[in-house]
Amino acid sequence: MRKKTGLARLLELAGERKGLLWLAAVLSTISALLMLVPYASVYFIVKELLEHAANPALADGGYMIRYGSWALVALLGSLAAMYGGGMASHIAAFRILYGLRMKLATHIGKLPLGWLNGTSTGSVKKTLDSNVEKVEGFVAHQLPDFVQVVVTTIVMISVMFYLNVWLALVCLVPIMLGITAQVMMMRSVDKGNSIKHYYDYLQQMNGSAVQYVRGMPAIKVFGQTVHSFRKFHADMVSYREYCVKYTDQFQNGFLLFKVLLSSFAAFALPVGVFLLDRNPGSTAFAAVLLFFLIMSPGLTAPMFKMMSIASSLRDINEGVKRIDLILAEEPIKETGTAQSPSSYSVKYEKVSFSYQAETSATRKEALSNISFEAKQGKVTALVGPSGSGKSTVASLLPRFWDIQQGKISIGNMDIREMQTHDLMETVAFVFQDSFLFYDTLYNNIAVGNPDASRGQVYAAAQAAQCHAFIDKLPLGYDTLIGEGGVYLSGGEEQRVAVARAILKNAPVLVLDEATAFADPENEYEMQLALKELMKGKTVIVIAHRLSSIVDADQIIVLNNGEIAEKGTHEALIAKGRLYSQMWEAYSNASQWQMGRGGVSV
Amino acid sequence: MSMLNNITAGQPKKLLKPVLYTSLANLAGIVPFALLVESARLIFQPFVVPGTQLDTVRLWWICGLMAVSFLLMYLCEIPAYRTQYRGAYNTAAEGRAGLAEHLRKLPLGYLQKRDPGDLANMMMGDFALVEHGMSHLVPQMIGALIMPIIALAGLSFLDWRMAVAMFAAFPVAVLLVLLTTVLQRKLGEGHMKAKLDATNRLQEYLNGIRVIKAYNVSGARFVRLEKAFRELMRHSIRFEGSLGPIILSAFALIRAGLTIMVIVGVNLLLGGELELLTFVAFLLIGTRIFDPLSAALVNYATFRYFEQAGERIVKLQAEPVMAGNRQPPSGYAVEFNKVAFGYNEQLTLKNVSLNIPEGSFTALVGPSGSGKSTLLRLIARFYDPTEGSVKLGGEDARLMDPEALLRKMSMVFQDVYLFQDTIGNNLRFGKSDATQQEIEAAAKEACCHEFIMKLPQGYDTMVGEGGNTLSGGEKQRISIARALLKNAPILLLDEATASLDPHNELEIQRAVDRLVQGRTVIVIAHRLKTIRNADQIIVLNEGSIAEQGKHDDLLAQQGLYARLWTIQQQAGSWNLIS
Repeated sequence: MRKKTGLARLLELAGERKGLLWLAAVLSTISALLMLVPYASVYFIVKELLEHAANPALADGGYMIRYGSWALVALLGSLAAMYGGGMASHIAAFRILYGLRMKLATHIGKLPLGWLNGTSTGSVKKTLDSNVEKVEGFVAHQLPDFVQVVVTTIVMISVMFYLNVWLALVCLVPIMLGITAQVMMMRSVDKGNSIKHYYDYLQQMNGSAVQYVRGMPAIKVFGQTVHSFRKFHADMVSYREYCVKYTDQFQNGFLLFKVLLSSFAAFALPVGVFLLDRNPGSTAFAAVLLFFLIMSPGLTAPMFKMMSIASSLRDINEGVKRIDLILAEEPIKETGTAQSPSSYSVKYEKVSFSYQAETSATRKEALSNISFEAKQGKVTALVGPSGSGKSTVASLLPRFWDIQQGKISIGNMDIREMQTHDLMETVAFVFQDSFLFYDTLYNNIAVGNPDASRGQVYAAAQAAQCHAFIDKLPLGYDTLIGEGGVYLSGGEEQRVAVARAILKNAPVLVLDEATAFADPENEYEMQLALKELMKGKTVIVIAHRLSSIVDADQIIVLNNGEIAEKGTHEALIAKGRLYSQMWEAYSNASQWQMGRGGVSV
Repeated sequence: MSMLNNITAGQPKKLLKPVLYTSLANLAGIVPFALLVESARLIFQPFVVPGTQLDTVRLWWICGLMAVSFLLMYLCEIPAYRTQYRGAYNTAAEGRAGLAEHLRKLPLGYLQKRDPGDLANMMMGDFALVEHGMSHLVPQMIGALIMPIIALAGLSFLDWRMAVAMFAAFPVAVLLVLLTTVLQRKLGEGHMKAKLDATNRLQEYLNGIRVIKAYNVSGARFVRLEKAFRELMRHSIRFEGSLGPIILSAFALIRAGLTIMVIVGVNLLLGGELELLTFVAFLLIGTRIFDPLSAALVNYATFRYFEQAGERIVKLQAEPVMAGNRQPPSGYAVEFNKVAFGYNEQLTLKNVSLNIPEGSFTALVGPSGSGKSTLLRLIARFYDPTEGSVKLGGEDARLMDPEALLRKMSMVFQDVYLFQDTIGNNLRFGKSDATQQEIEAAAKEACCHEFIMKLPQGYDTMVGEGGNTLSGGEKQRISIARALLKNAPILLLDEATASLDPHNELEIQRAVDRLVQGRTVIVIAHRLKTIRNADQIIVLNEGSIAEQGKHDDLLAQQGLYARLWTIQQQAGSWNLIS
């Protein structure tokens, strides 16, 4: 099946909002037709005056005032219909927008994590903000306009032909010329794929603006002025250059179109004078000519609208494409049936994995043939040099990525056959960089288990050694974190993350460098917190501080994406290979004294 | 006037050209219309005075003039088009660069209070609105008013009663729009706020995606995003729905002029007080005169909405930048003189006085939240103290150009932010004119070279946004290499607490050892062992200096330092499992 693009695809995405859109189209058509009534009224009044030109006192005043009033009534009706139509289309548009945003956000939530790592969040945001918003403009304004323009134009031209074929034909000339100029210009511009480039430049600039703001501390420290902050500035300049070039291309075509379509009278008048000259004294023809002079400008507005529709159609096309680009990303596959394992030992069997092409452009990291079992209730430690794949091994368990070969199971159940929800209920994580929401501390902990009672949340905080520092905060548990609220230290953030995990109380626990940000006092408390957390769980722990895992039931040493060796601390030391080298380096590093002393190499 | 100032983000002069040219183009547009009215008069003539001939000669002249007038229109439209579009992009680019520059000069304290998404949005989104406002809205609005004003003047001469009738309702429409300004503004603000909130929640969602997935909170946490999107929808609909009636009523009022005029005209005509041809001229003009007026009105409403975007920019631009323009002195001793400082009302540092001699090695220790990082940031003048003074080489840092001051310092902090650029360019931040050799040399010294060469394109490998394709240890080594390249006399170091794999840790230690040589070093130490031989150890507790001295002296004091030392000795060999 051919993939739909542009408008068709947009309508497809819009889904069930079509009823509202039809209503909008009908109402705005009514509005447009009523908008012509004042013109017609003036024409009828002028005709009446013309017929009694020689003796104005004989003109029918009541008749003329009636038409004058009709103009007002029609105007009010037109505005009311315009409002109704506008609301219908806007409501439809905003609903579509909401739907699209949710669809995108939900979809992003289902994508493998690697996708976000390889994309700048600035440009994703841009797609969800601006591109989606363009859809709004189009649905709310251009779509009903389109129906309206078509109807108005057809009605006007029919009436014109009914009144006088020659004058009508002559009025078609500027329309044809204008459209031709427009189409030719678009063709030449489209050849360069301009609109795509325009979006690319815009997206680039947005991406670098986000970086500029986020990287401000670094920029300040290195004293890069904005002009020497090459990337942002360069992106800004190239965006501008491109826009200027882009709009320059449109200049002549656009202006020609604009002038031609304001000049119906200029085309009609000569023909009219010619015909009038051959037919002097005909009140009827004079009236018709006046009709053309009065009414033909009514065609200008729809024509302009037509053009803006055409140009936003190209715009929308590109916007929809970008939305589809995200939607086309393959989500992690979801199984249909809900099932939970009955026991909780974790088994990796001949697991091989490599990041997808786009991420491998920046870094190649792969796992091959990883097999091990983390027994229920035991502690398995993953160690190895950075880049050896420890974190990758751990992040395969929650299916942040899906493996290419082999099988990972919990209690003999393949994790791919579990629903994400159940899998996440089974496994808890504490990451190196703990992410806290811009929310209260209480809610940040309660994330671990939304059904938990207040007492349970406090207990978890207590167990994670958070209680003391939370109590010191101005609003205690109701203190807002980040975004104008309070910022916690790295160690505190981590303990909040541990509290979350304690509250979650999942049978399988993955600690990825959970002790990373502990400082002297924290370190001890963190240790207490983690011990509390680990009680009775199947634990997979990634640790650099080798002393912390010497007593692990099993240590798995990774190197270059493969298991180099495994065993207990003593057994591995006895082997005298990679692990024992690491142990030696570790012991050396922990003797380090900064500066003067130098390192014992 | 403040409106104009806002919509132009503080540069109302930039409006001059586009307004001028657009007005000119609009003036040119009046010519063919005037000719049209004249032609109608000529067509009428034989009917008014039966027996007279149709003045074909004049009509043909008019046809000719019309053709010429369109050429004139075309020519006048060119500069209008160019200023409207080109001008807009130029202004926005300059404005963005200016704002970016301004942001950089603000104290980091201010920047950290603001949400980065908000600021980025201002630089992009708000400027896009300003750009549009300046180039299109304002010029078109003013240009659109030209024709009605000239018409009003001309028509008053023709027949003032009719002219008055035509515009009778216009002031009412203006009044209506002005009176509802407050309402519009309120709605606009609500809408903007909802928009901003949606953007922030989205950012949060993207940043926290890993936790969101891990905690299965597509339910609970998603609600925040969903709610923000829903609020945005609600506000958007409300905004459209309540502004519509105001605008449309004003529309109706303006256009009611036609009907009023017809009624007055018919009565005057029948009473013999109005020439028939004059009436016809008014009728013809009446079909066209209201279009630009209504357009101006719509523009005005949009304008008010856009103006808020400009206002936010103007406000940000008004934030005071860090003062000081002196060059830092040649001495590099650092001195704190009764310094107090707080990020908000609560003081983070209280009455801190200390002396750091040039070339010495000072360590800051203390529990988390004791103010170590704040102290370091005050030295670098990320903030100015609330009370007291920070001196460098005997001079108050507040008098110095913040940038010149920073040039004297290198910082290696824990949160290393790398830009989405090549590794080479990220290193080049340290020294913008560094040669490839210099970069590689620094990378080697900082133990980066080896891992960089393992990357697919070596130094030309792109780093993901924020550096998320590199490990923490690698990022840290890159920041050390940057500092080596920068080669500044003062080094501020926040010892990494993130535990690294032993190999990485050794490498970083080597890199740090090379970096500290021959500089004034101030380091935040988390592992006390590493700074045992510092010249001076400053122990902070709850924002004040609790103790200071050398390692052995401090141990002997049996105070906070001794307690921390003991805890660490115990935890040093900590074991998760036993």
